[in-house]
Amino acid sequence: MAMKSYPIEIGGVRRELPVVQVGDGVSVALLNLLGDTELTEAVAAEMAKRLPEEVEVLVTPEVKAVPLAHALSRVSGLPYIVARKTAKPYMINPVTREVLSITTGKPQLLVLDGADIARIRGKKVAIVDDVVSTGSTLKGLRELIESVGGNVAAVLAVFTEGTPRDDVISLGHLPLFKPEEE
Amino acid sequence: METMETYPIQVGSVTRRVPLHEPFPGVRIPLVDFLGDVEFVRAVAQELLPKLPEEAEILMTAETSSIPLTHEMAAARGMNYIVARKRRRPYMVDPIIQEVESLTLGAGEVLWLDRRHAERLLNKNVVLVMDVVASGGTMKALERMVSRAGGKVVGRMAGFHQGDLKLDIVTVAELPQL
Repeated sequence: MAMKSYPIEIGGVRRELPVVQVGDGVSVALLNLLGDTELTEAVAAEMAKRLPEEVEVLVTPEVKAVPLAHALSRVSGLPYIVARKTAKPYMINPVTREVLSITTGKPQLLVLDGADIARIRGKKVAIVDDVVSTGSTLKGLRELIESVGGNVAAVLAVFTEGTPRDDVISLGHLPLFKPEEE
Repeated sequence: METMETYPIQVGSVTRRVPLHEPFPGVRIPLVDFLGDVEFVRAVAQELLPKLPEEAEILMTAETSSIPLTHEMAAARGMNYIVARKRRRPYMVDPIIQEVESLTLGAGEVLWLDRRHAERLLNKNVVLVMDVVASGGTMKALERMVSRAGGKVVGRMAGFHQGDLKLDIVTVAELPQL
């Protein structure tokens, strides 16, 4: 049986995203930037063109958008900070927030190292993520950034998914799929 | 406020004064952070790239802190890379599951590799890349994963190592125990 896929193109780079079931009655087109250097660099170049000029620092949630944040930081010259999934023993005064992960259904932590908070406070921040679906991670990250005195000036994602939204600067939109369509 | 003690690390023309972390009383190690520091990551990649084996076809690492270095090295060579995950993801199909042997941690960490990614290692010459190697447990686990996926490890590279290297790993410098 041929696996269903969904075609995308960004900056001339084409991929067939596998459509995989992630929960009861829902399948998604799986974007994977981890390991795909060509696609990641193409996304970073396109995102840099849409990055509002006022932005001073990028913040990304661990893990899948980390190479994108690295590449976008290199292209834009802006620093980036990773919100981790766990507090590390070496962190100094970490600040955490719990969000409900839609893909696992489990509570998920977002953690900022105290050392990074000084780089966010009073700054215009762009949140960088791969796919914004329900927006639960986005909401938690926004609240976390604002709680330490950062000003979220923009949200950039490769794709929005499910319901289109106008509060995210994205390079495209992914539909949700029903498993029986696979 | 107490002044934080730092340790200077120079790679190429880039110097960072990194904080010292005390994992056990009396043992302090410099804390190198590759996440969020493009300039430092690029400097480390520039040191490692000339030593990357020519036969390398794909790189492999484990999440998370080694990802920027691996991406940078792969992008410079027009290669791709594979990332072993520390948790099972819901979309994984028939994953390779590999325990990490660790001397310091009681509970063994487990690495996960989706079969879709494992298939990309088949018959490939693979170079393992990490930011910092201490006991080498994670690198050994990655090596077993590559072997189980039908690939061949042709090189091991890391930005830094702590303590004696028990494996043949190319690194830029040693991080001392202070």
